[in-house]
Amino acid sequence: MNSNATNAVRRDFRSSLRLEAPCEFSAVRSATLQVRDWLAEKGLSEAELSGWELALVEAANNAVKYVPADKRQLPVVIEISAGERDVEARITDHTAGFEWPDEIALPDVESENGRGLFLIQSLTDRVAYLRNPQQNVMILQRARTQTAGKPVPDAGRLQAQLAEAEAALNDMTAELSSSYESLVAMFRYSAELVAQTDVKDFSQRLLRDLMQIAEADGAVLRLLSADGKKLETLLVLPEHGRTVLPPVALANASPSVEIGAARNRQDIWFDAEEPLEKDDPLLAAMPMGNGICHAFFVANQLVGTATLGRLAADKPFTAAQVNLLHTFIDFLAIQIVNARLLDERTATRVTRRELEIAASIQRSLLPEKVPTCLPLELSASCRSALQVGGDFYDLIPAGDGAVLLVIADVMGKGVPAALFAAVLRSTLRSMPQLFTRPAELLEAANRTLYADLSRVDMFATAQVVYLDPRGAKMISASAGHCPLLFWQPGQAVASAIGQSGFPLGIESSAKYSQTTTVLPPGAAALLYTDGLSEMRNADDEMLGEKRLLELLAQAGAQTADTHAARHFLLGRLADYCGNAPLTDDQTLILIRNTA
Amino acid sequence: MNIQHQGSTAIVTGLQELVAANAAQVRDEIHAALPPPCMNLDLDLSTLSFLDSSGLGTLVSLHKTLRSRNGTVRLIRPAANIRQVLELTRLHHVFEITP
Repeated sequence: MNSNATNAVRRDFRSSLRLEAPCEFSAVRSATLQVRDWLAEKGLSEAELSGWELALVEAANNAVKYVPADKRQLPVVIEISAGERDVEARITDHTAGFEWPDEIALPDVESENGRGLFLIQSLTDRVAYLRNPQQNVMILQRARTQTAGKPVPDAGRLQAQLAEAEAALNDMTAELSSSYESLVAMFRYSAELVAQTDVKDFSQRLLRDLMQIAEADGAVLRLLSADGKKLETLLVLPEHGRTVLPPVALANASPSVEIGAARNRQDIWFDAEEPLEKDDPLLAAMPMGNGICHAFFVANQLVGTATLGRLAADKPFTAAQVNLLHTFIDFLAIQIVNARLLDERTATRVTRRELEIAASIQRSLLPEKVPTCLPLELSASCRSALQVGGDFYDLIPAGDGAVLLVIADVMGKGVPAALFAAVLRSTLRSMPQLFTRPAELLEAANRTLYADLSRVDMFATAQVVYLDPRGAKMISASAGHCPLLFWQPGQAVASAIGQSGFPLGIESSAKYSQTTTVLPPGAAALLYTDGLSEMRNADDEMLGEKRLLELLAQAGAQTADTHAARHFLLGRLADYCGNAPLTDDQTLILIRNTA
Repeated sequence: MNIQHQGSTAIVTGLQELVAANAAQVRDEIHAALPPPCMNLDLDLSTLSFLDSSGLGTLVSLHKTLRSRNGTVRLIRPAANIRQVLELTRLHHVFEITP
């Protein structure tokens, strides 16, 4: 009918533009901007203009880039014609020309060039490249987005701008709403975190929300194992049946996008063109058609990987959705690391509690009062280092005014050492018949404790002294302990007495020898632990036995009072170590003949 | 173009066009402003009106340099047409793009 007849005779009125530009990048760039303005007047949409601008720039750049020196004075010619239905451009160059490839693929992502032809092809409907000895012509053609039936250019342009604005508005709304959703989610998570810190529960809810907002069909979250050698599965969503995703070793040679992302610190995408390898462990979670794997780090340390996937291969994640993935997962990473720090702090608290227990055991082992043994007088003290050790001393009334002195050091720290000190103390106390024979007492204690001590690789040193007020005698024996120090008035330096045997718990049938020493009036003897002789000053220099012998002589000469002499000793020791921290227990017993 | 430093991150602002005419120069200027302790690069693309394949080459080159230092190139607020070029060439898989 009428309309058919109209169609049949209707002609596509085309207008055209021809520009000649000097063969330089900046000149051809100006020319493409002129073309863009001209096309805008013809009513092309913003998207069409951008597409043409880029296609023309790429074509014209090629014309400049590959021109031989002797043709550089020839211009690059851009001709463009616009009709109602399409736009066509011709770019004339004077290069040697090239064979138009059958198939144009993108180069490797790391390649710094080779994307020009791909862009030209992607931005146009048809490309032809005509080679000729004098010049080559590239012909680009693309249909116009439908503004046909609106012959008035201004109206078409307005309509196009309106559609453009509407699309932009839709995009912005979508982006805003997903930003808003993620913001709301973050606030909710932060509030929840105050209430509970179960990482798995928390991660599960966060990952579910992320899947929903980013429109993913599945997600896998893995965390780096404590030894830092493999990625362990924390979550697979949606959960179906008993799918267990075994851990993957970071050193794994078989294909895994998760390992790849973790090693290269880079997101890895997969889709129909670059699908997951058939052995990729991720495929056990779900048959992902396309997706992205993101490795996440805190303070430059790998924490884990998160993978979002879609079943369909042809629905890739948009840049906005990838942003959501980054935002959510980086937030999660910080929470995971925080939760770990919290655990560590709790562990530290437990250790501190353990030390308190050890200290209270150690305190309970010390005698409540000092027995009298006149004319011999005793003064003792035990000062604990921050890390409680196994030092203890005991002053046991042994009948007839005699006293058994024990000073011991169980190797090790904390509760085990303190407990063993308690056992040693009870064992010695349980054999009063041997108090007068310290060597035999040590042999018996060693036999009793050997099995238990050696089983836990512990041992103890001990010095036992039977103090008899009649005759002011000391009978001493040592199991690997610091020697008994002796001083009498007139001596410039004190001396060490006796021989030492194996520590307790080293040799099941160890033998010990004992020494009898008489303490004349005014004489002093010192029992101590190695915390005293091995204490260090600010220059990290050890006190040593020799200096201790001098100090004992000074203390004895300084005062006749036993307690005052002990305080004098402690004062000198404190002077020696200055501000250096106490690293071991310091225990000492001072004996004085006050007659 | 303006380059500032914040810790180990260099921040580039004020790029107008990244095209064949200036791609090599921009690449060299930014490279020169990235001495080794510098690991990350934030490219503010909000002022960038046009990007061609030579400009993409510049971005890839910077990306490779910083990747070798375990750093990243972030593209900040690219306009829709710029983002389209990145998506078309699938380079949005490589760069972190912040809206």
